[in-house]
Amino acid sequence: MAKDQTPKADELFSTIDYKAPEKSWMDTPVEFKPGTFCHGSRPKYLELLHMPYPKEWKPGEEDWKLPENWKEIFLDGMAERLKKYRSFKLFMDICVRCGACADKCHFYIGGGDPKNMPVLRAELLRSVYRKYFTTSGKLFGKTAGARELTVDVLRELWYYAYQCTECRRCSVFCPYGIDTAEVTIIARELLNLLGLNTDWIAGPVSNCYMKGNHLGLEPHTFKSSIEFFLSDIEDITGIKIEPTFNRKGAEILFVTPSGDVFADPGTYTAMGYLMLFHELGLDYTWSTYASEGGNFGFFTSNETAKRLHYKIYAEAKRLGVKWILGGECGHMWRLIHQYLNTWHGPADFLEVPKSPITDTAFENARSTKMVHVAEFTADLIRNGKLKLDPGRNDDIKLTWHDSCNTSRGMGILEEPRYVAKSVCNHFYEMPENTIKEYTFCCGSGTGLNAGENMELRMRGGFPRANAVKFVRDVHGVNTLGNICAIDRAALTASMDYWVPGIRVAGLHELVANALVMKGEKERTVNMRNEPLPGKEAKE
Amino acid sequence: MPVIEYSGARVNVDDEGYIVNFEDWNGDVACALAEKEGVEELTKEHIDILKFIREYYRAHHFFPVLNAICKNVHQPKNCVNEKFMDPLVAWKIAGLPAPDDLIINLLKYGQSPG
Repeated sequence: MAKDQTPKADELFSTIDYKAPEKSWMDTPVEFKPGTFCHGSRPKYLELLHMPYPKEWKPGEEDWKLPENWKEIFLDGMAERLKKYRSFKLFMDICVRCGACADKCHFYIGGGDPKNMPVLRAELLRSVYRKYFTTSGKLFGKTAGARELTVDVLRELWYYAYQCTECRRCSVFCPYGIDTAEVTIIARELLNLLGLNTDWIAGPVSNCYMKGNHLGLEPHTFKSSIEFFLSDIEDITGIKIEPTFNRKGAEILFVTPSGDVFADPGTYTAMGYLMLFHELGLDYTWSTYASEGGNFGFFTSNETAKRLHYKIYAEAKRLGVKWILGGECGHMWRLIHQYLNTWHGPADFLEVPKSPITDTAFENARSTKMVHVAEFTADLIRNGKLKLDPGRNDDIKLTWHDSCNTSRGMGILEEPRYVAKSVCNHFYEMPENTIKEYTFCCGSGTGLNAGENMELRMRGGFPRANAVKFVRDVHGVNTLGNICAIDRAALTASMDYWVPGIRVAGLHELVANALVMKGEKERTVNMRNEPLPGKEAKE
Repeated sequence: MPVIEYSGARVNVDDEGYIVNFEDWNGDVACALAEKEGVEELTKEHIDILKFIREYYRAHHFFPVLNAICKNVHQPKNCVNEKFMDPLVAWKIAGLPAPDDLIINLLKYGQSPG
């Protein structure tokens, strides 16, 4: 998928250079390199969202059409957030520049730009903080690590705020626990006060606001996509499935990222959900209103994220369900797990989720009332409720990519592995320092998975790809599993680029292959309509 | 406004070559658009795909799931990529409106926002 102006993989690899620039970082101006940044947000999206300063603008050009008092807006916004978010204030103050995080960022590893060392990326904003909000910075300026907020500094802040995927790998290594993602989040908020977002983020956010999902699928279109999958499922299994939509009184509301209902390979994962829930006879409903698990609003501002997020709960309330089951998504879960209670308080109008199949109560979801489908399925398998034939996945040699938000963000480490090992006979881990809480980002999270910044994405995807290459070479691994919609799209591109031949699959695609359903016809093909192992001759 | 012509047919397009009026599309217009995109010949298979895409778009205001296109026009999986290089080219030749970044990333680069 990586094409156009992006250099070939070996050429790109040869340009990774860790040599420091000759001048200090403050004296090294930002250079907007083609292939490393996204298009500017178009005014129509910001207008629709009532976000400030909509305009036509191009990040690579000099004139950003800033309001006259842009500096005042930025600094007032900063003051407000220093007061509002103790984390932000703390992270502005406490870094001792020990450098433990310096070589932990995938963008630094794959690019060599020192401003992608997490310490320095945060320093871009810290230097402004010191200048305007600390006595030492006001008095001693540059000597105290402080600098004026100029248009060039603003441009630099923007360039690097959109070269951080908020994956938080650096924070795992920080002796103070500084969460650089929180710094990036605030930096993006401040830039949004000036109308400086990307089209790839602002478009999906406005779609989600108006139509319920990032893609902008209208209710009948959302339903139509799922009906296509049902037709494929019937061809593959002989079983006719009739899910419900917007059904009041269902026990469970199911929500998943909209990418899964349109883009391969997520579509195969969506088929897996449909098959599993049918087999269980689950009393659940899809919603064409809460038709998005993801939340690109989180990549603009907390306030926007909050607005988009609550529709899931509003729909749960409207439909009168008992609890919510969530699909394979990344940042959706970070918001549920870490932000819901602060934004809206516990969802006490719902019940503590309890599996109707195993009677397991998911106490970990006591507050959010929302269970991750990997936990749900792991519990089913643990209790012997599924008939599985892992031999159907015998052509797969699987390794597991921990998605940043679900692993580092909320500790889902073992459940997907347990499910994956139950449905695949061949499972191999990547090196320890690249998985679980140390996992490497796909390189394209937080709304960076566009087409025009492909070089940046491939650089950021390099460390993960390198670990996959290792298990491919040592164990013959041919498939990279994960539980995140952006991973499924982004890793497909980065694997094609760095490790061609590696296939990317969602967990429930693998479950669907192995799931033995009551009344199914002899299965000869997998979810991708390819012959199952041993069935090739029948094709 | 730019105009493209083919076999006497003339149709308005925007600066990037997307036709301006959805209803202006017909077989000749498709041929003109295809020529611009480097798709040498439009066979019945091509036209069937384009017609399905248009009908779906008319009703759903979106591009259909790729596998669904091929299945509905009774062609092999990956028919869109094989016939049109990438789905975005098919979008254009089918006479759909100028796409925004979302559609470009989705169809050309296979990227979805969540």
